[in-house]
Amino acid sequence: MNNIRARRVSYALRYVLLALAAFVMVYPFLFMLSTSFKSRSLSLGDPTNLIPTEPTLDNYTQVLGTEHFGRYFLNSAAVALVSTALIVLLASMMAYAFARLDFPGKRIFFTLIIVGLTIPTMMLIIPQFLLARDLHLLNSLPGLVPFYVGTALAFNTFLLAGFFEQIPHELDEAMAIDGAGPWRRYWSLALPLSKPAIGTCIIFAFLGTWDEFAWALTVLNDVDNRTLPIAIALFQGQHSTSWGLVFAASIIAIVPVLIVYIIFQRNFVAGLTTGAVKS
Amino acid sequence: MSTHPSPTALPRTVGKGRRRSRPRVAAAGSRRAPLAAYAFILPGFLVYSLIMLYPAVQTLLLSFRDWTIAPGVNSPWVGLDNYIRAFHDPVFIDSMVNATAYTAFTVPLQIVIGLALAVLLDAKLPGRVGFRVLFYLPVVTSWVVVSLLFQFIFSSQDGLANHVVVDLLGVAPENISWFQGRWTAMLAISILGVWKGIGWAMLIFLAALTAVPQELKEAAALDGAGAAKRFRYVSLPAIRSALAVVFILLFIGGFNVFISVLLMTGGGPGNATQVPLTYMYQQAFKFLDFGYGSAISFSLTALVLMLSALQYWWTRRRMAR
Amino acid sequence: MKYWKSGVATIAALASISIAGCSADTGSPSSSTTAAGNTGDISGTVTYWHAYSADSPEVSTLEGTIIPAFEKLHPGVTVKDVPIPYDELHQKLITAAAGEQLPDLVRADIGWVPELANLGVLEPLGTSMSDFQSYADQVYPGTLATNLWKGTYYGLPLDTNTRVMMFDQSFFDKAGVTVPTTVDQLMAAAPALKKAGAYAFADNGAGGWNMLPWIWSAGGDITDPGVTVATGYLNSAASVTGIQNLVDMYNGGYMPDIILGDSGGLATSDGLATDKYATILDGPWMYPIFAGQYPDFTVGASQVPAGPGGSVSVVGGEDIVMTQSSTNKEAATEFLRYLLSADSQLAMAKVGQMPVLSNLGSQLTAINAYYAPFVEQLKTAKPRPATPAWSQIDSILQDEIRAAIRGDKTVQEALDSAASQSDALLAQFN
Repeated sequence: MNNIRARRVSYALRYVLLALAAFVMVYPFLFMLSTSFKSRSLSLGDPTNLIPTEPTLDNYTQVLGTEHFGRYFLNSAAVALVSTALIVLLASMMAYAFARLDFPGKRIFFTLIIVGLTIPTMMLIIPQFLLARDLHLLNSLPGLVPFYVGTALAFNTFLLAGFFEQIPHELDEAMAIDGAGPWRRYWSLALPLSKPAIGTCIIFAFLGTWDEFAWALTVLNDVDNRTLPIAIALFQGQHSTSWGLVFAASIIAIVPVLIVYIIFQRNFVAGLTTGAVKS
Repeated sequence: MSTHPSPTALPRTVGKGRRRSRPRVAAAGSRRAPLAAYAFILPGFLVYSLIMLYPAVQTLLLSFRDWTIAPGVNSPWVGLDNYIRAFHDPVFIDSMVNATAYTAFTVPLQIVIGLALAVLLDAKLPGRVGFRVLFYLPVVTSWVVVSLLFQFIFSSQDGLANHVVVDLLGVAPENISWFQGRWTAMLAISILGVWKGIGWAMLIFLAALTAVPQELKEAAALDGAGAAKRFRYVSLPAIRSALAVVFILLFIGGFNVFISVLLMTGGGPGNATQVPLTYMYQQAFKFLDFGYGSAISFSLTALVLMLSALQYWWTRRRMAR
Repeated sequence: MKYWKSGVATIAALASISIAGCSADTGSPSSSTTAAGNTGDISGTVTYWHAYSADSPEVSTLEGTIIPAFEKLHPGVTVKDVPIPYDELHQKLITAAAGEQLPDLVRADIGWVPELANLGVLEPLGTSMSDFQSYADQVYPGTLATNLWKGTYYGLPLDTNTRVMMFDQSFFDKAGVTVPTTVDQLMAAAPALKKAGAYAFADNGAGGWNMLPWIWSAGGDITDPGVTVATGYLNSAASVTGIQNLVDMYNGGYMPDIILGDSGGLATSDGLATDKYATILDGPWMYPIFAGQYPDFTVGASQVPAGPGGSVSVVGGEDIVMTQSSTNKEAATEFLRYLLSADSQLAMAKVGQMPVLSNLGSQLTAINAYYAPFVEQLKTAKPRPATPAWSQIDSILQDEIRAAIRGDKTVQEALDSAASQSDALLAQFN
């Protein structure tokens, strides 16, 4: 009897803590949501007032009706999907090699990856622009993919290497003794066991490529080729901005990212990976 | 395939194209398979080298010149002048101090709070998915929007922050002009950094916690260990790797802080809140001094690299014990 | 060859003689621009970068009225306009310049023209455009001067604006104070305004855009006319007085501290509309903003408070420039001419973009009554110094003046320091 009550209290306590934390974290977002329903939003109103007096969908209809908006949305989606797939594939392969394989020069390669983590991409923008020009990848939507993949590899490889190292060595050994080569072990052992890690990688890779702004703006000129973050930035004027419009557009842009998140966080369930040890 | 390596067995594998493969049963789990390993490494590494390393080298070379972007104009070689200038530049020194302070404030908080939330959300709790989404929302909201909102929250007139600090907590006697003092502005920017990063850290910890074997936790519970003890002795060691990864990534990210400072204060008032990357951006893109801008970035990169290498080496030594 | 050409240009510019058609025949290789009127044989695509925001009346006018009208006149030409977010346009231009990927035409902020010209990426329209002088004669002199770099004109003004003093008449009536027309009157009225609950004046920065009206109206300046040296001008007695007035108002509690950095403070527009600020200086774009955000508020406007130097405000706006790398200069020049035609300029005037053609002044008030004080102010408004070093000088000016306002140094010390730092920067380009 005591146990059940203790558990109920523990649950209730958890809930209260979580709810408080969630409210603090989400408050700015709630304010953003509320402003997106306001018609006069050239200046932001009272921060404690979350309920707009005359809520309106005007901002949303205006955003969705903006010329090319649907096009930008699809452009971003295409680039993000392809880039994410490539990032996850290449980063997981590299991470597996670092975590599980031995080869001459391993230290050097890994150090070079760490170096990539510390280099701020803003600094590279002009040499990268010249590179894109020389590779004839300027002003092209597919041309964004190699750059997005290249800049995301260091981070995701490092992240996945950390996870792959947690896989019990005995499993690897077992498979090797059974005659499985590295590719087989990677594909049939490491990847399935690392669903949470791969899920994390997908979430981050998608978010990074979906939201990327600076490079896309630098490289893309044709209005048809542009991506969503550029479209949202264009709602900001030189002298004034209707923030309700910007917020409405931002919220629309957040939806796909949240969908990806919700899908892949299902992998974060304890006990998913432990069965494999027994089998 | 031979399972017991002996000196006489090796030549037999030559014809099968696996000549360099020498299975070591006694190894600590890593297999010597260089050809296959390169097959794993090279595709990604080639893309990475082309897109990141090659431009980085070019930028490094640029930092040794008084570089002008005008096409066709010669950029004179100045050697280490830009670096010497950086180390005598009080604005650069201050920017490094600001970045250090920012990192020292944001990294521990993000780890502790992110981990706490991950632990709370690891258990079977109804509405868990909803909470996970809510905590992740700050991560996916764009910096432009978030910086604007935080400027608003830290507004010197009737901002939420002043409400809390003056009215609710009574810590300050009157409204603070957050963005006019160096450290109050840095505090506001740091709070923004923590707020935006918690969900990110939480995500990685959640992923790591799911790998903790359930049986271990159950065994510990049966042995009478309470939740805190179970966490300390079962979960924590299992996520050591994730902790190290998160720490290094947040550490590097802290020193490389850029967009939030650019949007919140632009480095002002009067260079007080400059961080190395905003200073680099100003020098390179506003004043068109790319050589100096590159020198600033590389000085930052070198420092962060040294510190990260130190830490990485140190945590790996701890883990190996 | 080069020196001879720029020599001719300098003489032509200085003499200000209308020599349309004569200077084109100097044999310059890059001059493929035709004289106005020869419209039959141009074709191709013209790319035009600008920063009009999405869904704004400006971009609708450009894409819905101006470009179609131009394309109808020249069926062989297609104009592709590329909107770029304003905050990023400068960076994109720099990167594009480095990679030699600039468009044909750019609507550039007036401050960027000397910098881009110095990089060698702009077409010297003053010499290569045959009818340049005829256009130069039609625009406000202050706006034309923003295109001058090392004796050559690199563009033409496209739209202009200036700052005038804005106030709430009903607030002044309530406070029993007449709206000031001079700096002295403003300072004298400050205590009464404070009693009525408002700061006498508010501004959100201390750079050139903010401070120059005060410096110029006091009779001071930043540099000599040749933009070679700042000492003797920036730290002259008149300039010091101009800034001292502001410092005195701040010390008296008649100015809010957003001048020291305005992130998170009460914006000038919001403060004016809510009667927390009695006067501000701002531009014509504020009218649609006030109408949208504060429909019950009627904003009054008059000239910048006058001083010994008169009522002199600062010119803002954008210039239209053509790039050296353009592959279709004929068509680009023709479109440029069209943008400066009375039709285009008036169409843009309807959506808040003030024309640069001085003869349109009288028609403007018919379009928008609120243009009147701006037209008046533009007669004497001056541009900021045209030098690639301006960006840095502006930063220095802001830092030093803010230090003076905070009381860290005297105004004289601040301006002395700013002047000597500026001298070093200006010397790089002279």
